[in-house]
Amino acid sequence: MNSPLMIGFLALTFLTCGSAFFMLWTKNVLHAALAMFMTMLGLAGFYVLAFADVMAVSHLMIYVGGVLILILFGIMMTGQRTSKTGQTNELFTEQKGRFWAFFIDFTVFLSLSWLLGQQHFYAFSDLDRNSKLGQAGLSFMLEYSFPFELTGVFLLIALVGATYIAKNHE
Amino acid sequence: MNEIPLVFFLWVGAFLFATGLSIILIKRNVIFVLMGVELMLNAANLNLIAFSRGDDQNQGLMMGLFVLVIGVCEMSIALAIILQVYRRFKKIDIDQFQSRN
Repeated sequence: MNSPLMIGFLALTFLTCGSAFFMLWTKNVLHAALAMFMTMLGLAGFYVLAFADVMAVSHLMIYVGGVLILILFGIMMTGQRTSKTGQTNELFTEQKGRFWAFFIDFTVFLSLSWLLGQQHFYAFSDLDRNSKLGQAGLSFMLEYSFPFELTGVFLLIALVGATYIAKNHE
Repeated sequence: MNEIPLVFFLWVGAFLFATGLSIILIKRNVIFVLMGVELMLNAANLNLIAFSRGDDQNQGLMMGLFVLVIGVCEMSIALAIILQVYRRFKKIDIDQFQSRN
């Protein structure tokens, strides 16, 4: 239990779960976006520890580089200027009490971990510690070529549609 | 060097899933709810990657990469819709959406 791998795993667990819990605790949307940034960094670390380097790099690029910027733009463009006094922080959100949040969180987590404790998982084969980049590229070109093309077209359609929806229809 | 047991990854995934679920149920800002959806999506993705560790065909890894792209599509469309909702109603609370019977 004292291997450097395990120590790194524990540190990443504190980072990921702590910032996810902070997302649940805070009422400020901007703080939650920054906590989500830390969660995504921790998840990329988990992917590295699971020997999936392709996933880690693409996750970092897409989430930290793309989705988070999108969310920050969304927060900026929907700043609620409804308060009359103008003194309150406009980024605060309403929520229905913290007790229920923690209650739902821990109940679902405990029941899921109880379920996981009942199971016995077996691996198909031995762990492959090498980089998965070459294998993933070959799989994209060989057996997953049709889903790959389909996903590309889907992404194109989704981005064009999002641009059209976000346009100012006046 | 001994390996990290598989169930540790699953526990982290379970915690992220539970947190995302309670964010969706509790928070009332739509962008907050969207962040909860992303958290749940990534928890499921972590499970896929953790199971793919012991698979020489890398099926979970490929599925996870596709899920990543679909998640980005969902995120961009949802933010565009939220922007339009804000333009029309000047507000993005969950409770404001009520059907007219």
